[in-house]
Amino acid sequence: MAELKYAFYTGCSAKGVAPELYNSTKLVAEKLGMELIELEAATCCGAGAVQEKDEFLALTINARNLALAEELGLDLLTICNTCTLMLREAKFKLDNDPELKNAVNEVLKEAGLEYKGTSEVTHFLWEVIDGVGLDKLKEMVVRPLKEFNIAPFYGCHIIRPPYLIGYEDPDNPKSIEMIIEAIGGNPVDHTARLACCGFHSFWSAEDKVTLKLTAMDAQSAKEEKADFMVTPCPLCHTQLDAMQEEAEERIGVNIGMPVLHLPQMIGLAIGLKPKELGLDKHVISTKEIIQKVA
Amino acid sequence: MEKFKLKVFRYDPTKDTEPYYKTYELPVEKGMTVLAALFKAKEEQDPTISFRYNCRAAICGSCAMRINGHATLACKVQITHLLDKYQTDTITVEPIGNVKPLKDLIYDMDWLVDKLKRVKPWFIPKEPPPADGTEYRQDPYDHHRIDFASDCILCASCMSDCNALKANKNFLGPMVHSKAYRFAADTRDGAKKERLEAVLEDFNLEWCVRCMECTTRCPKEVQPYENIIRLRIMAAEEGYKTPGEIHAEIFEQDIYNRGLLNEMLLPMRQEGILGAIKRAPFGIKMMLKGKVNYADFFGGHKIKRLEEVQKIYEVAKEKEKEVKIKLPQIMGVIYEDKRKTRKRANYAESGGNE
Repeated sequence: MAELKYAFYTGCSAKGVAPELYNSTKLVAEKLGMELIELEAATCCGAGAVQEKDEFLALTINARNLALAEELGLDLLTICNTCTLMLREAKFKLDNDPELKNAVNEVLKEAGLEYKGTSEVTHFLWEVIDGVGLDKLKEMVVRPLKEFNIAPFYGCHIIRPPYLIGYEDPDNPKSIEMIIEAIGGNPVDHTARLACCGFHSFWSAEDKVTLKLTAMDAQSAKEEKADFMVTPCPLCHTQLDAMQEEAEERIGVNIGMPVLHLPQMIGLAIGLKPKELGLDKHVISTKEIIQKVA
Repeated sequence: MEKFKLKVFRYDPTKDTEPYYKTYELPVEKGMTVLAALFKAKEEQDPTISFRYNCRAAICGSCAMRINGHATLACKVQITHLLDKYQTDTITVEPIGNVKPLKDLIYDMDWLVDKLKRVKPWFIPKEPPPADGTEYRQDPYDHHRIDFASDCILCASCMSDCNALKANKNFLGPMVHSKAYRFAADTRDGAKKERLEAVLEDFNLEWCVRCMECTTRCPKEVQPYENIIRLRIMAAEEGYKTPGEIHAEIFEQDIYNRGLLNEMLLPMRQEGILGAIKRAPFGIKMMLKGKVNYADFFGGHKIKRLEEVQKIYEVAKEKEKEVKIKLPQIMGVIYEDKRKTRKRANYAESGGNE
């Protein structure tokens, strides 16, 4: 088996409002035999914000982030959909435009760095499937989540656009369902499975767009009688969990749908405790889930 | 012979109170498109099925519809590919989303036309044509910047699956913003400011949620999402102070000063003191759940080797003026992972989307 060693790119959320994602990722990765070398010198990916002001600057800082993984000779592993897309976008542009790559490298040289293009950008979700493998995951399950109906929420930037992501069919992805089945849960199909949480227009269209989408998404999982939603993205999580009550309020509905980070869900099945996975750090109560797995 | 089911959205407001679905069984024929299947059902089984079409060659944009939930041109996708892609024996066709159905697959286009009119989707010359009788001239790079945006055939597939439009019908939508970009970015056009003002009214341009549906759906690789971002860059260059612009500045400062975003101080800096007061109850809720990194209120943690980033900023800001970034060529491109040792989900190998 190939060595499962990665340059771990945490992103801002896992170091900010989603500490439970950071902690559960490290615990689960260790148990699954993945070695994560944290990139402590990496910056924010720009999150699309820097990209829409200073395209070249955004490319350069991400070239630096990628160069940090290259220094270690490892592929870069993210735990956030938007980080994944921003880093892959930078890589796509740099690898397909030699002049641009030269211009970026002239800037990086000032800091003693070089972008070569030797490290790939991957996400925890994909590495559980392709690196660890679903057979190995199945073997490690000690507490199958068989009584849970689980609604996958992919989040946009792990499936679209295919020219930058291309891991699976954006119209009919299966990776999260495959993991849910491997740990004994029941994946629930719902209308918002591939929808948007609204996060990225929060500061411009909170009432007009964002919270409406958030409410529709949580409602969609509830209509299919899901016990909880699961997402591989901390931005979707912040929106669906932390902002769900605000969304309920504006829309005038009552939803109360718990949302788990992907590693938290896997952690429950491979014998980690809800407390160490940070299930108590969610805004929407996860009490029922905790009681059931106890 | 192998058969499949074509499940068609049916609605005639003159006699139906509710839309319904009618299923037609058809033979699976090699090379048959969804449009060809609709013709076969109409000719052999039910002459009342209504749909728009014209060129049958993905040029006119008339036959956009939702096929198994995703918008595309019915003449561009084949039955055998779809049956395989969705592992099903049923293909469902519905009118595109976010519009008012008129009859079966035909929808009301006035709504789209009204939106388009707001950005004046036609060329408004900056100056009269050259006196020597030649045409308006343009630098090849300047043309390249609007090349893909010019390919739009107004099929509205992007409008169909747009998440911001789903939430709010007042969003102009990717097709319209992309069209605005095509003219605003044209160096021969004289109405850049007027167009920017139109898309920035109520910050409409920034309602986009970056869901990437438009770019994923577009059958002509127009890159509507990327055009929205290019339009935002233009607005920033013109000095418009939008929420998105303020947001971008905060990110740039934080990356320079500490490396990572300071999420705790973000609301205050984004919306000022009044904003911070408005967000206080939310902040308290987050504190009680242990989601707040208190050190961040006092500047917080800095990444290692921050001096590299600061050096890069200074040089990059200078360099940026001379760099001509080419638009990504995405026609038929599926990102391919170089790690051949790992078995990926077969997507790139299968050729991806149609």
